[in-house]
Amino acid sequence: MALAVETNSQEFQGLFTLYMVIGLVVAALVLGTIVYAVIRYRRRDGMTPREARGMKPLEAAWVLLVGAVVVVLIVSTFRTEDRVDAVSADPAQTVRVLAFQWGWRFTYPGAGITSTGSSQRPPTLVVPAGEPVRFELSSRDVIHSFWIPELRFKRDAFPNRVTTFDMVFDPGVTTTARCAEFCGLDHDQMDFQVISMEPADFKRWLQSHERSAARSRGGA
Amino acid sequence: MTTIAPPMPRAGPVEWLLATDHKRTAARMATAAFAFFIASGALALLMRSELAQPGLQIVSTDTYNQLFTMHGSGMIYLVVTPLALAVGLYFVPLQIGAADVVAPRLTAFGFWLYLGGGLTMYSGFLTSTGAGKAGWTAFYPLSGEQASPGPGMDMWIIGVALAVAGMTLVAATILLTLLRQRAPGMDLTRLSPFSWSMFFTTTMTVTSFPVLVVAMGLLLADRNLGPVFDTPGGPATYQNLFWFYGHPVVYVMFFPFLGVVADIVATFSRRRLFGYPLLIISLFAFTGLSMSVWAHHMFATGQVNNQYFSLTSTALAIPAGVEYFDVIATMIGGAILLRTPMLFALGFLALFLIGGLTGIVVGSPPIDYHVHDSYFVVAHFHYTLFGGSLMGAFAAAYYWFPKVTGAMLREWLGKVQFGLLFVGVNLTFFPMFLLGYDGMPRRVADYSPSAGFTGDNRLATIGAFVIALGIAVFIANLVVSLRSRRPAGDDPWEGQTLEWATSSPPPRLNFNGLPPIRSYAPLLDERERAREER
Repeated sequence: MALAVETNSQEFQGLFTLYMVIGLVVAALVLGTIVYAVIRYRRRDGMTPREARGMKPLEAAWVLLVGAVVVVLIVSTFRTEDRVDAVSADPAQTVRVLAFQWGWRFTYPGAGITSTGSSQRPPTLVVPAGEPVRFELSSRDVIHSFWIPELRFKRDAFPNRVTTFDMVFDPGVTTTARCAEFCGLDHDQMDFQVISMEPADFKRWLQSHERSAARSRGGA
Repeated sequence: MTTIAPPMPRAGPVEWLLATDHKRTAARMATAAFAFFIASGALALLMRSELAQPGLQIVSTDTYNQLFTMHGSGMIYLVVTPLALAVGLYFVPLQIGAADVVAPRLTAFGFWLYLGGGLTMYSGFLTSTGAGKAGWTAFYPLSGEQASPGPGMDMWIIGVALAVAGMTLVAATILLTLLRQRAPGMDLTRLSPFSWSMFFTTTMTVTSFPVLVVAMGLLLADRNLGPVFDTPGGPATYQNLFWFYGHPVVYVMFFPFLGVVADIVATFSRRRLFGYPLLIISLFAFTGLSMSVWAHHMFATGQVNNQYFSLTSTALAIPAGVEYFDVIATMIGGAILLRTPMLFALGFLALFLIGGLTGIVVGSPPIDYHVHDSYFVVAHFHYTLFGGSLMGAFAAAYYWFPKVTGAMLREWLGKVQFGLLFVGVNLTFFPMFLLGYDGMPRRVADYSPSAGFTGDNRLATIGAFVIALGIAVFIANLVVSLRSRRPAGDDPWEGQTLEWATSSPPPRLNFNGLPPIRSYAPLLDERERAREER
């Protein structure tokens, strides 16, 4: 399936790879130079060290080189962040997320679907893949953090405050997600499941739940 | 300079506890910090034992939450920060040719505040609800009365406030000493790299630490008097206040050891430091930036300007790069002697490099969105704090122990310790990068056997005990070297700075006389002059 927009995990991967490659090159250069210096200039009898007063052109060149790397990194970061933080004018689906000690509640406005679960019975978040999904995140008590490791993304949930953001899911995701912000006793149990579906399948899922929700309302 | 200074009186217990001489206060502070290091390290061993396999085997979740809170709080508020300041308190007056610090009694008072704060914080373990358990950051509302009832949390807050206030006093006196007590000829442009690092360290301390004291006061008021932070913006306000202290403190814990390492590398390369002016300018830039990056800890809140804080954080690579460049350029063309202080200094450079580079990585918001609050971050800051600061602290210990006690530490035990720590740090903290990347959050007592975290956790636990063995070797070295003393003499390393121009240990007022001071390395100048005259 060709995606109109990059998913959160794809955006992350591109940027992370750039940082890792540069980081590894720098680490190898620096560590290599240290090892070289220690071996080559190990003190031997009759050795007089050269006078070291600094070399201005060399130092300036180094500052410019590191500065250039910083510019490359920061430009890539800003570009990626602009895309990741962008919110769609027309999201495919909106999900309200309420975090609490120690569980989650997912509500699909207009569809009458609510999935609540606590540490004993993790709830499931079902989303369409490849399209922006709007989240309206809040907390009932302390700060929590909505982290889906497989999507390489998290956002904190604050009490008395709604944080709005969009995510784009990869197709075929079935994964465990969890709270990342320490929130008290059962923080380590605060998991939820995530399932992403093709948009057509998601529509069917939504409709079937709407029908059953309507039935249960009618029966009540 | 014909008068002979009285020697340091031999310290009885009362003298040792109550003397206000800067060397005595510094020794007390370093001893207390080392005791808290052992205690907080023991908590880490309990945590690592619990995490060795899935399921709860050793402690309850509630106890585990106290363990990581007190481990982190202990190491930051009570170990590395006071240790960094203690080293400065001892050696800044010696390096600038001063007889004592300004306001030595105020300095001693600062020490007692710190010790009282530490004991108050740790006493939380004796209360029925246990010690603080809201993490070393105590984010609100988790640290509020409703989510964390009980006296342990209040004692934690009071303890932090006292300790941090005490350290602010100590830092202020070091800063004033640097400004007011320099010997004739010791211009600011002739301070040693270590003394410069303390200048910037104490500047950051006096500007950022009071903010945390205020934040703790407000938190205590919120818990006991009525809402302060209980507004829609309150929790983020608390975080801004906290990190305004919480990021500069990272550099307070790092700069002094960077300074020590620069001194050591120059000394053991038998050479003047390469690029001294640029190094000092970059420390200055570092200091300015370090006060402007605090909210990079809040990228995932969605309530700060991520781009600004990402820009300042990434720009830190420039001064950091200059420091590595100058230190390594000092070695190239030098005559390097691999004694224990130099070994630990090299360990500092290698391990801090990993911590620093991953710091740039987590300074990018889209990357931080994934790794924030995960074990990736735990790995990152342990590489900076253990791999960096503590390796630097051991470099300082081996370098200056002879000056403080008059006796050398055993070289071979030092090398064994270095090997154990270098292997242990990598074995403990490297797997944590993988754990965090794979989705393990920090501050969890347990993880699912199906999460795939078991193997890396086991490695980290083994590594933690290798580190513990390394620390045991260090303690053995202290005992052996003090029991069966090998006299150090005034200057066992061919030092470059003024502390090596006096006896070991230095007399009560530090100096009988001073050599002429014409550069940051007066003793090296003297040796070069003597060689030319020959």
